[in-house]
Amino acid sequence: MTLLDFARGPGMQWSLIILIVGILWRVVGTLLLSAEKDYSQARQGGTGPGIRAVFRRFWPHPEFVKPTLFHMVGGYTLHIGLFVVIFLFAPHILWFADLLGLPVWANLPNNIIMLAGALTAASLVAFVLRRMTHPVMRRISGFDDYASNIVTLLPVVTGMLAFAHTPIARYETLLALHLLSVELLFVWIPLSKLAHALFFIPSRYQLGAAFGRRGVKV
Amino acid sequence: MSTDARLIDIPVISEPAMTLPSMNVEPILHEVRHALRRLLETGETSMIDLRAMPLAPGEEEKIRTRLGTGEVVIQLDAMGPSTLTETAYSGVWWVEHRNPNDVVTGLYIEVAKVPSIVEPDRQDLIDAVARLNDDLENNDDE
Amino acid sequence: MTSKKRQDMTIGEALRANGVSRRGFLKFCAATASLMALPPGAATAIAAALEKAKRPSVIWLSFQECTGCTESLTRSHSPSIEGLIFDAISLDYHHTLQAAAGHGAEAAREEAMKEHHGKYILVVDGSIPMKDDGVYSTIAGMTNLAMLKEAAAGAAAIVAVGTCAAYGGLPAADPNPTGAVAVSEIIKDKPIINVSGCPPIPVVITGVLAQFLTFGLPELDDLGRPKAFYGQNIHDRCYRRPFYERGQFAETFDDEGAKKGWCLYKLGCKGPITYNACATTKWNEGTSFPIQSGHGCIGCSEPDFWDMGGFYKALSQGKLGSAEGLAAAAGIGAAIGIGSALLGSSGQKAAKAEIKAKLDKDMEATK
Repeated sequence: MTLLDFARGPGMQWSLIILIVGILWRVVGTLLLSAEKDYSQARQGGTGPGIRAVFRRFWPHPEFVKPTLFHMVGGYTLHIGLFVVIFLFAPHILWFADLLGLPVWANLPNNIIMLAGALTAASLVAFVLRRMTHPVMRRISGFDDYASNIVTLLPVVTGMLAFAHTPIARYETLLALHLLSVELLFVWIPLSKLAHALFFIPSRYQLGAAFGRRGVKV
Repeated sequence: MSTDARLIDIPVISEPAMTLPSMNVEPILHEVRHALRRLLETGETSMIDLRAMPLAPGEEEKIRTRLGTGEVVIQLDAMGPSTLTETAYSGVWWVEHRNPNDVVTGLYIEVAKVPSIVEPDRQDLIDAVARLNDDLENNDDE
Repeated sequence: MTSKKRQDMTIGEALRANGVSRRGFLKFCAATASLMALPPGAATAIAAALEKAKRPSVIWLSFQECTGCTESLTRSHSPSIEGLIFDAISLDYHHTLQAAAGHGAEAAREEAMKEHHGKYILVVDGSIPMKDDGVYSTIAGMTNLAMLKEAAAGAAAIVAVGTCAAYGGLPAADPNPTGAVAVSEIIKDKPIINVSGCPPIPVVITGVLAQFLTFGLPELDDLGRPKAFYGQNIHDRCYRRPFYERGQFAETFDDEGAKKGWCLYKLGCKGPITYNACATTKWNEGTSFPIQSGHGCIGCSEPDFWDMGGFYKALSQGKLGSAEGLAAAAGIGAAIGIGSALLGSSGQKAAKAEIKAKLDKDMEATK
């Protein structure tokens, strides 16, 4: 069995199993945790502010715009870039369609995908460098932060190398490395801060609802 | 294999897709231009192997049309026929080699004053002198 | 014919004796150079080397195969098989092409092996079954395994023609009922040149032989194939590549995209992981190749191409065993989640009780 065969077959199969087990474990486990009962009288219902918080927090309050600008721009570049690369590149679409039994959806031309990939990789590198150099960021960054950044960066970089048929290795090897790095990402998602992809909406809602009940403007 | 039933004789008409981009035509013509300049300035000859290029359907014909036809056509009969045609650009030759079954085995654009294969080899000249000597010495007809 | 014995002649002498002129020979060499992806100027070097090369004895053994490789060989137009057999090599045994049959044929093989011991080229097509002592394929009562070992002992080099001989091919496809293996898994002490493909391109088979005669053992890639012929990635050399870049794909074999000649990636083309000369040398005397004819590459020159997950499944689609595995994973995940939540809430209760006890104690103390 070649490295590519392993990456396409058992490697993919097992990493997906771990991903699914991990996601359900964390999501079900967290949602079923009993919340602390709030004995105070609610000033208003929590649902409205909860939903509002989910959307409101896509952009900071005016006074925080300037201090968080780096994170906002970098974060949006990274996330939009990832979305474009993951969901609008033809080979990826085929992968999803095959896995989920969906019809194939429209793809973007490869030069746009490459541009998005380059921006994504650049913003991830910028985040790592900032963590390493910014005095405060450095103190509050742990293994999970660096690892999550790099585990996200690897599939982007290996994917671009494979796509460009970079002569540093044969295409099959680069493709296998790309798949293996994706499989590492699958395993890492539920175990790390990358799980924010699962939790950001419920936790925004939860916090917004709690604030709402206490009469705090969300 | 008999030569009377060749693939090309099967009446299948394939229409080249209208939207196919011609990726190779312009670059090859540029290469010819550079080669022609080298021939003029340094005398260096060049050969472009069209069968080593991933040509799209129809591109070979496009290149042939763009180069046009000149005044000289040379025919060879050596292990099958070969046709060496001068293009509309002096010094640029369209070289087509065929095997005894009339199948194209090589297709080149050669940039030279005269295609290299036309010039006789030195050893052949030596042999020729020897043979002619032989003939003149042993033939007493006159 | 000259006074020299035929098999002692160099290729140059043999050609001249057959009335092939120097220009004719140069044409042949130019076609060979083109095939080896050498610059056209290299034809002269090839001519010079071939002039002096001795005509080697070639023994061709066919094992677990479909004769497709031999069919392909006979369609080689440049160098042509007739030319090659009579001028460049001395094909002493090939059980499909030779006139002799039965005991006479086997005697010819044994004689050639004895006479040219240590010098002949052994060409093998087909894989070799290993299960049950190799009984699944025999010739004249002799298993392929025994015949290969015997013939390989005296060979200067082995050329494994076709994906079966090179990597096991179709007979070795899952579940490999006969235990078929490649030549290279049995013979370890001889140079082996893999000429893969199902079948290999006709002129590549003869081209590899010509290359061997001209330059000796060629430079091989990591799968044992001559780089000169297998150095090209189909996807890199494909004329449909621009459509891949633009993201324009045929979705079915008869849609608008297919008619416009768009990229066949979505229809399962394995071009990106396949190395062969199809995109430039092409097939049927240079007429076309699968992608040009509207069908994706099936990767026939690569190991295990039968088991790459389906000819019509795109390369990026996984070779996932079954959806059941993933569904089971979902069930397990949910179960663990519920379990950890229960554990978590009992933990919460315990922690609450602990905090309460501590607070009560503190209250006591302050009183």
